[in-house]
Amino acid sequence: MAMLEVEHLRKSFGGLTATNDVSFRVDEGEIVSIIGPNGAGKSTIFNLITGVYRPDAGDIRFEGRSIVGKKPNEIVDLGIARTFQNLRLFMYLSVLENVLVSQHHKMRSTWLSAVLRTPAYRRQERAARELASEKLAFFGPRLMSFRLNQPVLVLSYANRRRTEMARAMATGAKLLLLDEPSAGMNPKETAEITQIIRRMRDEGGYTIVLVEHKMNLVGEISDRVVVLDYGQKIAEGDYHTVVNDPKVVEAYLGKKAETDEGAGAGPRETRT
Amino acid sequence: MTRAVRTPTALDDVDPQRRVRNAALTLVALGLGIVALWALQSVGSTKLTQALALFAIWGVATVSLNLVNGTLGILSLGHHGFMLIGGYTTGLLILSEEARGRIESSARSTMTDETLAISVANLLRGLGLDGLTTPETLWVRFLIAIFLGGLVAAVAGLIVGFPSLRLRGDYLAIVTFGFGEIIRLSASTRVFAPLTNGALGFPGIESEFGKSVWWTFGFLAFTVFVVSKLKYSSYGRAMQGIREDEVAAEAMGVNVAYHKILGFVISAFFAGIAGGLWVSWLGGVRLDFFLFQLTFFFLVAISVGGTGSITGVLLGTALVVFVRQYGDPLEETYALRTWAMAGGVLLLVASAALLGFRTLRRLRPRVTPAVLAVAALALVVLLVAAANPAFLDGSFRGFGMRAIFLSVLLIVIMIFRPEGMLGRAEFSWAGLLRERRSEPTDEERRQDAWLSNPALNADADHARVDAAPDAADAGDARTDREGGR
Ligand SMILES: Nc1ncnc2c1ncn2[C@@H]1O[C@H](COP(=O)(O)OP(=O)(O)OP(=O)(O)O)[C@@H](O)[C@H]1O
Ligand SMILES: [Mg+2]
Repeated sequence: MAMLEVEHLRKSFGGLTATNDVSFRVDEGEIVSIIGPNGAGKSTIFNLITGVYRPDAGDIRFEGRSIVGKKPNEIVDLGIARTFQNLRLFMYLSVLENVLVSQHHKMRSTWLSAVLRTPAYRRQERAARELASEKLAFFGPRLMSFRLNQPVLVLSYANRRRTEMARAMATGAKLLLLDEPSAGMNPKETAEITQIIRRMRDEGGYTIVLVEHKMNLVGEISDRVVVLDYGQKIAEGDYHTVVNDPKVVEAYLGKKAETDEGAGAGPRETRT
Repeated sequence: MTRAVRTPTALDDVDPQRRVRNAALTLVALGLGIVALWALQSVGSTKLTQALALFAIWGVATVSLNLVNGTLGILSLGHHGFMLIGGYTTGLLILSEEARGRIESSARSTMTDETLAISVANLLRGLGLDGLTTPETLWVRFLIAIFLGGLVAAVAGLIVGFPSLRLRGDYLAIVTFGFGEIIRLSASTRVFAPLTNGALGFPGIESEFGKSVWWTFGFLAFTVFVVSKLKYSSYGRAMQGIREDEVAAEAMGVNVAYHKILGFVISAFFAGIAGGLWVSWLGGVRLDFFLFQLTFFFLVAISVGGTGSITGVLLGTALVVFVRQYGDPLEETYALRTWAMAGGVLLLVASAALLGFRTLRRLRPRVTPAVLAVAALALVVLLVAAANPAFLDGSFRGFGMRAIFLSVLLIVIMIFRPEGMLGRAEFSWAGLLRERRSEPTDEERRQDAWLSNPALNADADHARVDAAPDAADAGDARTDREGGR
């Protein structure tokens, strides 16, 4: 069954059409990558799905129901969570607190029970902490011990990315939208995060849509790839079909596609 | 690492044994505090008792204001408005029969027979609880009145909270300021004058609660309990998330509108309580007891103490209350020569403090032109004062010097320690006994080693070279420093 269906989505900012009639679907248990040159409208799609922007036209259905017009926090309640391309962590809160805030929406106790620390509240708090360590454990021990109580402010860039992914996982979402999860990571860390994303699907049971510029990561884990250019979907399919599609090569390299070393001719890694 | 410290886990950041010890220490400290309070108020002067009570009352106000300003991160400037509502409600509800009689017979009174009949005593009589309307049970009526005052203020907080859903930052601050003033100004209008007695207010409110350290510290303890439990709960974390990044909080499922309003309502409730205690401390209710100046004092207290910390807020409040209650010598008339001398000494202290600050922070050069200039200015002023020239013959009354002193204090703190004296640190036994962990253990260093070990991580060197200012790929290069925090 389709978990997410995006149909004829359109969004303009003034004269600029950032998303132009884009349709695609994501099935449960898939890893789908959205690629495209800078400014192609990849992040805009994430913002539309998560309710940050309202589409001008088109529909977004999650598990069969339209989610257009819902507030971002209501969309999280339904089961979609995201990370941000430019990291939006709670800087002065600790790693643990960051991963706890994203579980707050599941809290069933009222604020008064929280003040009184009723047994029901304590149980939920404990469960939230257990879930937080479970999600942080995806990234190995590095966020688990002394870093747990450090403010995010002192973490390295790569650790901040990991914290943000753990935070999104802890919301209890079924569908994760990861905006450039490997940005700012070195090749070794990128290889590691590739495996982690795969484990997030296999062990965590998440369905994943990711925006990425690093083609080796995309090639290794994507079940399907959607290519955007100037807000339009120009190709869709498995990685090898897509990167050899003349339209895609043209979008990345311009009209005069220079011939170079065979398989690497596809999209090159770019960085924002 | 000298002491064996347990690795914190997500489940308990405090060792269970230590938790028992901390609870015991807290009980002992509370006991000692009560004994100290008892000793102070039985041995000390009336002035001291009054100052202690005022500290507790303003503490209720600052701790509640900081729930919005510090935890939620919204600059609110209308706290005096909520206090006014609580103060007037409490005042009206517990006004004595004699005071009501005097208002009734006064020609200038704007109250009607109906509004004069509004009181907790009449309410209780209506409920058939005549036993609670005797003079001995005044405290029951006071409790009911102050609680109702808090509730009415909370309703106002609900209304003021709504603009916070649409506006941000400075605009919202102006709106909250406007609301505070609207509340104050509308209290004397024709519509509300029958309830507030217009510009006359209510003289003759019972002082036995507002000037008692037991009552006021009881309310302070209640406030600190509720606000701190809230702040360090899941709800408080969500509020802090909103403070840090509203978009991210919403994207992580936090219902931003609900939590903002919740913060405003709870804050206003306690402001109402503080207002009730404040009128009791003053012994009357008048419009000019609730000027913006009140909110200004609170803002100084929370900014000086540290908006991130409830302990810091109380420390700041103690400082402000001390200056207010014991600062009268500052406002008296002195010879100009004395003022000049004092100014010179102050400047000298300032330059020494600047030097000390630079030494402490290991700034180079230690002696900057600013330090020298301030010291030189101090010497000039002192020399001139010592020479006693004719133009220093008059005298000067330091009118408003306390507010000026507090403002200067605020400026200095904002320049040198913008996060306030305590910053985000809360008082804790672990902190006092220096059990806080600042360094990773050897084990944790080993766990982390893969990041910096070239054999495990072939790209480490490459990453270090690459560590550009844009922070891309800087993960490994920063690990050492990161671990040292
Ligand atoms: N809020 C906005 N207001 C105006 N223009 C916007 C806004 N958000 C995005 N855009 C524009 O829409 C286009 C697509 O932006 P988007 O961020 O989706 O690109 P992207 O594919 O994520 O690019 P990158 O790879 O650089 O992250 C860009 O031209 C951008 O300038
Ligand atoms: Mg983007």
